[in-house]
Amino acid sequence: MTAAPLSGTAAPRPRGAWLKSPALLLVPAVLFLAAIYVMPLIDLGRVSVAADPWWSHIARVFSVPLYWESLLRTMKIALTVACLCALFGYPTALLIQRSRGSVQAMIATAVILPYFIAILIRTYAWMVLLGRNGPINKTAIWLGIYDEPLALLFNRGSVLMGMTAVLMPLMVLSIYSSLSRLDQNLIRAALASGAGPLAVFWRVLLPLTLPGIGAGFLLVFVSALGFFITPTLLGGPGDQMFAMHITQQADSITGEGFLQALAVVLLVITLVVVGIAGRLMGFEFIWGGGKLSEVAETPAKSKRAAAGPTRRSARMLVADMAGWPILRLLGRMPADTGKWTVRILGGFVLCTLILPILVVIVISFSKASYLTFPPPGWSLQWYEKFFSDSNWMSAFWNSLGIAALSSVMAVALGATAAIGIVRSEIRYKSAVMLLLVSPMIVPPVVLGLSLYSLFLHLNLVGTYFGLAAAHAIGGIPIVIVIVAASLQAVDRQLEQSAAVHGASVLTVFRTVTLPAIAPGLAAAVFFAFLHSFDELVLSLFLSSPRMKTLPLMLWADINYQLNPVLAVVSTLEVVLVVGGIFLARPVFGRSRAAH
Amino acid sequence: MLGSYRLKGMVSALAVTAAFGAGPVLAQSTEVIMQDPGGGYGEALRKVMYDPFEEETGIDVITVQEARSGPRIKAQVEAGKTEWDLTFIFDQETKLLGDCCLADIDYSMMSEGAQKTLAAMPDNLKRPKGVALQVIGVGLVYNTDVYSEEEAPKSWADFWDVEAFPGKRCLPAWPRFVMEAALMADGVEKDQLYPLDMDRALAKIAEIKPHVSKWWTTSAQPPQLLLDGEADMCMAYTGSTSKLALEGAPIEVEWNQGFIYYDFFSIPKDGPNYENAMKLLSWRLEPERAAELTSNFPVALPSSVVFEAADPAVSTYWANNPANVSRAIEWSPDYWGAMSEGGTTTNEEHGQEQLNALLAQ
Repeated sequence: MTAAPLSGTAAPRPRGAWLKSPALLLVPAVLFLAAIYVMPLIDLGRVSVAADPWWSHIARVFSVPLYWESLLRTMKIALTVACLCALFGYPTALLIQRSRGSVQAMIATAVILPYFIAILIRTYAWMVLLGRNGPINKTAIWLGIYDEPLALLFNRGSVLMGMTAVLMPLMVLSIYSSLSRLDQNLIRAALASGAGPLAVFWRVLLPLTLPGIGAGFLLVFVSALGFFITPTLLGGPGDQMFAMHITQQADSITGEGFLQALAVVLLVITLVVVGIAGRLMGFEFIWGGGKLSEVAETPAKSKRAAAGPTRRSARMLVADMAGWPILRLLGRMPADTGKWTVRILGGFVLCTLILPILVVIVISFSKASYLTFPPPGWSLQWYEKFFSDSNWMSAFWNSLGIAALSSVMAVALGATAAIGIVRSEIRYKSAVMLLLVSPMIVPPVVLGLSLYSLFLHLNLVGTYFGLAAAHAIGGIPIVIVIVAASLQAVDRQLEQSAAVHGASVLTVFRTVTLPAIAPGLAAAVFFAFLHSFDELVLSLFLSSPRMKTLPLMLWADINYQLNPVLAVVSTLEVVLVVGGIFLARPVFGRSRAAH
Repeated sequence: MLGSYRLKGMVSALAVTAAFGAGPVLAQSTEVIMQDPGGGYGEALRKVMYDPFEEETGIDVITVQEARSGPRIKAQVEAGKTEWDLTFIFDQETKLLGDCCLADIDYSMMSEGAQKTLAAMPDNLKRPKGVALQVIGVGLVYNTDVYSEEEAPKSWADFWDVEAFPGKRCLPAWPRFVMEAALMADGVEKDQLYPLDMDRALAKIAEIKPHVSKWWTTSAQPPQLLLDGEADMCMAYTGSTSKLALEGAPIEVEWNQGFIYYDFFSIPKDGPNYENAMKLLSWRLEPERAAELTSNFPVALPSSVVFEAADPAVSTYWANNPANVSRAIEWSPDYWGAMSEGGTTTNEEHGQEQLNALLAQ
């Protein structure tokens, strides 16, 4: 990701040319999100306080132990998961950075691949892996570690494990982007100056990659706060997370008002966490990009910048006092320890990311009608069942149609907005950007609930357009981040020289800008498509009898009858993602270079 | 096969995309939208009920898998956007939702066969707002490989007795049934249960909690848990478990102190296809067909006419088999649907909060 400011310096414009202002390109996306995203959330707030007295629902959230205890538990789980991700993600990111050539490509793919596979499918893979007759139990018994299969599922451990594995790629990619920006000469210089590997880690690597860790930590923490799928499937009754109460309460007839209050509490807590983090480290962590240059730099910011160095030196002092003695002790370890720690921890993480997917692929060819590993025999019967079952097939085509429509919407709105953001000089650009990417941090359960009543009144429940639009809310930020990154890589001088030679704005865009950002646009289409194709939580609220999507069918089956057809669907999704990544490899190479 | 679906999917995608401005495609009178329990029961319904119905009437039955429809019916009807034609809801929900959200059933529109079935049903089960179409049993189900015939658990007291009956348990994550069972295990007579002493029940549930491997939430889970060995003894729906027992799985159902209740079929107000819903309801009430359904999946219709038409090997597992009824308890939906002392929630919601809090500890 780039460190350059998002906006270049622009030539002064003649007055009255505001119609040509790129800022207008922001209008469609902002209007779309205002109507279908901000308004429903405001309405949610309104319903939650439509009681007498107005705070009675919210008071109930904080007075019934069930709910506030669950709130605390949710925070605790999210914090633990974020710590685990940081602890294991860092060596993995180092492993990617330190390896070269095809090995690096393989490791990077192993991290990126799961990132694009639906959370539902990866969670299901963990259910298979940890099951009573799953590979872990079978292997341990075979090795003689214990005799009876252990109950590995439905406890806090399996929730933490599953959530950490699901969110790990987010952390690794975030740290890696910060590592790859690091000037390798610094490390060489430190080594040349006599610092040992541990000192290099402590004084050079860690401080310089701290922003990446911080960003990853927050993204994981905030996503974990709103998690619903993984704890529902992997947890026991003692692992109820807050988002689960919202879906549970949605099953109660007298829950109106209180249900919305639960959602509002979750939303507010998420926003407060993001707000505090944003004040401390800049809101850029959400989109992983560089700072946006504002027209007017706020005084508060420059004051903070001035305060920075003193704080850092205080931190340095603590590090020196507490850190050095420990480091000296650790320094007596064999020289290769660091390298091997990175390899072992990184290797372990890669296994936890890839193994579940492989196991599911194997199970899809199983002969047994229940989940057991290794399969007692091989057959293609589950593939036959999938392709001959009209419910599965129509769900498949529904998902494909909705994802196509949704990616078109997201790219049309998102790409224009990205151009508007990068090319315009408006006040409060950061605020606009924040609005545009904020759907990434709003818990899907909250969004789904708020959209349900809007869609009911607009007759959009269970329509292609409705679901595609709902999915586009989350697709737009993805598109904006990718397209904005590739736009920044475009040499503005090329555009300007074309304009100087008399090309109109549209001609410049068509002949210079568009070809340059085409790979980024293609990647954006792919990601927006996958986002919609995998989406479950919004669809749970917004689907109708007539229209089921593939994730909805999977969800119903996971809850009603665990069978290998689920593994077939998962395998097909893996094939789709691998195929997509393979086809788009040149694109990724370029867009990553642009980051 | 793939090709034709592809075409169909594409065409419908285009059609809906083109028509989105006009809202969802409004239901034609050639379909009926029916809530579906899914799983093996759903498959049996499709085979025995829906496919022949479609063939004979030309009305497509569109099924929606949904465990609980009550809250959604309320939201849909209040927004004036009813999606479902025929739903199954709890006994207490026919009362809670009756005035606001359910249409009257016009019994005069039923076929002759359906009238016969209805005539043999108690009046309480054929209400203006709903007709009891399935008898649901909840009982003690155990793995016969773990507990042989002589050493089998016979009551909830046995279920709670982990010393005499060692092994893992599974229970539903709901207050209904679990609290009653806990009280019976604690020595409360079955005719003295209501109103429930929730605190006493919770204390008893706390005792068994360490031995419960899974608090299940959908009917397909307990049989899976029993077969996988994740649990040896469960409180479970008798429908899906007795189907497995009939197929020869090592599972047996104990009816003593079991629970019997009814699912009511109701028509949400302003549903898109009222007449088709009545046709389908009538179709499902015809005795021979209802009996055939139960031989595919042992969930019974509460009418003696259907009972007589059914295969005796299957009807031993029926919840309304007189031999089973005599040993089961009369479960009180009215108690669970009534408002709790606080006045803001029903007993069921209050109990759920209490139970969740206990389980979360």
